[in-house]
Amino acid sequence: MPTLEASIENAMANDRTATEESRVPKAQRRHKIMVVDDDAALREALNIRLRAHNYEVVNACDGYSALALAQKEHPGLILLDLGLPACDGMTVLKYLRQFRGLESIPVVVLSARDPQTSEQPTLNAGAVAYFQKPADNDELMGVIRVCLEASGTAGRLPS
Amino acid sequence: METPASVLLIEDNPGDADLVRLRLVETDPPVKVDCVPRLSDALKSLAAKTPSLVLLDLDLPDSHGAETFRRVLEKAPNVPVVILSGQDDQSLAMKAVHNGVQDYLIKGDITSKHLERAVRYAMERQALLRSLDMTRKQQLEFKNQFLSHVSHELRTPLTSIHQYVSLVLDGLAGPVSGDQSAHLRTALKSVTQLQAMIRDLLEATRAETGKMRIEPRCIAIGEVIAQALTMMKAGAAEKPVGIEASVDPEIPLVYADPDRILEVLVHLIDNGIKFTPPNGTVRVKACMVETDPSAVYLSVSDTGKGIDQAALPRIFERLFQGGDPMNGHQTGLGLGLYLAREIVTLHGGRMWAASEQGAGSTFSFHLPVYSMSRLLAPVVTDKGKLRPSFVLVRADVKPKTTPPLGNWREACEQALEVIRRCVYVDKDLVLPPMASNGFTDTIYVVASTDISRIAIMLERIEQQMKTVQLLERAGTVSLSAEPVEGIITSAAQTLEQQIQTVAERVQENILWTMAGSRQAAEKESDADPRSVN
Repeated sequence: MPTLEASIENAMANDRTATEESRVPKAQRRHKIMVVDDDAALREALNIRLRAHNYEVVNACDGYSALALAQKEHPGLILLDLGLPACDGMTVLKYLRQFRGLESIPVVVLSARDPQTSEQPTLNAGAVAYFQKPADNDELMGVIRVCLEASGTAGRLPS
Repeated sequence: METPASVLLIEDNPGDADLVRLRLVETDPPVKVDCVPRLSDALKSLAAKTPSLVLLDLDLPDSHGAETFRRVLEKAPNVPVVILSGQDDQSLAMKAVHNGVQDYLIKGDITSKHLERAVRYAMERQALLRSLDMTRKQQLEFKNQFLSHVSHELRTPLTSIHQYVSLVLDGLAGPVSGDQSAHLRTALKSVTQLQAMIRDLLEATRAETGKMRIEPRCIAIGEVIAQALTMMKAGAAEKPVGIEASVDPEIPLVYADPDRILEVLVHLIDNGIKFTPPNGTVRVKACMVETDPSAVYLSVSDTGKGIDQAALPRIFERLFQGGDPMNGHQTGLGLGLYLAREIVTLHGGRMWAASEQGAGSTFSFHLPVYSMSRLLAPVVTDKGKLRPSFVLVRADVKPKTTPPLGNWREACEQALEVIRRCVYVDKDLVLPPMASNGFTDTIYVVASTDISRIAIMLERIEQQMKTVQLLERAGTVSLSAEPVEGIITSAAQTLEQQIQTVAERVQENILWTMAGSRQAAEKESDADPRSVN
């Protein structure tokens, strides 16, 4: 049986061709945000809120599909849960940092895990911010806005 | 096959040693006996290998009495120790047993059978104790894991409730009437309470297992009090209860974790508001006490009905529930005061309460003063004399975005490290970072030099900061330097008094600029309310 790592790399290699096509600039691009969470209800609520803030949203419910979808959709920002099926948020972060074109996507982690144990490791792995669930919506939206502005102007984000 | 029991006999009298050896040789199964005459040899032997039991004479050439068993117990806390003494000293025997010694035998009284039995039982008892201890530790660990799992699991549905209630409240699911909006706000408030309870539950477990952490820095306690008051203003006005603060302007810098102390103050003020009837007052006070210059005293008092004298000694206990704020309901888990006291204790302080029925309660605690003059002494003096001039260098490490993105805490740590590398350890003192407003870290350096020469240090810091990648990406560092003026010392003063004067002037400068930047920040935030929606 192929290892998890091998199957992820495989999936990403297959996706590479498709990616080129989807890079065609759309008219009046809005920022696209990818929500990764295994809780469907929470995904839906976040979708409604993000759309109300005029963002385009794509969703993934596990780590594996998050990586594949990131490759395909090239979101401007990823909102990532840590406890995920298939491969967890930390692994997703690790792989995102290894792939050209994905490594500079800002990742905001939104997890129920204790920040005292999880915040520093996720920031060290390249996330730009850590929120514990339930997060304050104004703060979360503020960080998302700041991240997108920063990646729009500087083109490069702190990691 | 089981390895035979081995006994370490610590006995300086060869005759007594032989006697014990003879008695233990007859036992079945046999016991291996190693004998050493001195405590120092025994400690060495214990470091090398662990015997099944220690037989100990108290009066040795290099140690006597209680000291002997204390040092053995300290070296080998898990090995059963049986004392073999020439003296029938009841109180010493009792003391030994209380310290963890398994048995106290009198040399003249023992027979072979007696000694053998004492040795076996001591080993059994010790094994039992150890397994009890292990079970207790396992249970505690299990409880921890359970609580941390539970709090994680509780957060998931809570997040869903929070999200959907706020969706409706924010009008993202259609228009909301005034009444509906008020009801939803009540629901959201309960979510916040539940969230705080989950957090406290986890914190209490941490406190219990010694895993609670604090990150002390240099803080102006007046600033933290001002922050707490700002946070509590709305809640107090609702009731209405007045909140006032009086801060002694002479208070020096305090060495404490600003977030944790804010947490303590907010909890005490919140409690005060809860237990005070409308139109009452909650007062926060910070002052110095003449008898103890090493601590700052803080208190939060209210004009509520006071605490029952019988309950007073128990209010800091975990899960203690006082009677209700105003009308019979109980709120919270009863962890707030327990956690507040734990936080203060971690800072090396103490917290206590006083109350008078009908007149109100006062919660007091103290925090250690940042003893600047002690730390300044080696750097501001040279050959027993005060150096001629001093400069206060200030570095503001500011994030490029609010809130900062990425590992900002680590970036600040690295900035501090750079500054430490750029100063002269024998002439300059880097103070712990100041918690100023928001995410900006302010680092001060007291440099024993003339203002005209400070440019070199600033240049060095600036160049070195460029090597910190995290900082380059996420923030900026602005440097400034001001001479420390107004240091008037006279020959009549001792060197210590002169150092004290320097410390006072430095603190004044720091407190003054900090208050200034807070006011500026407040003005800014008033003028430009952050709109995120």
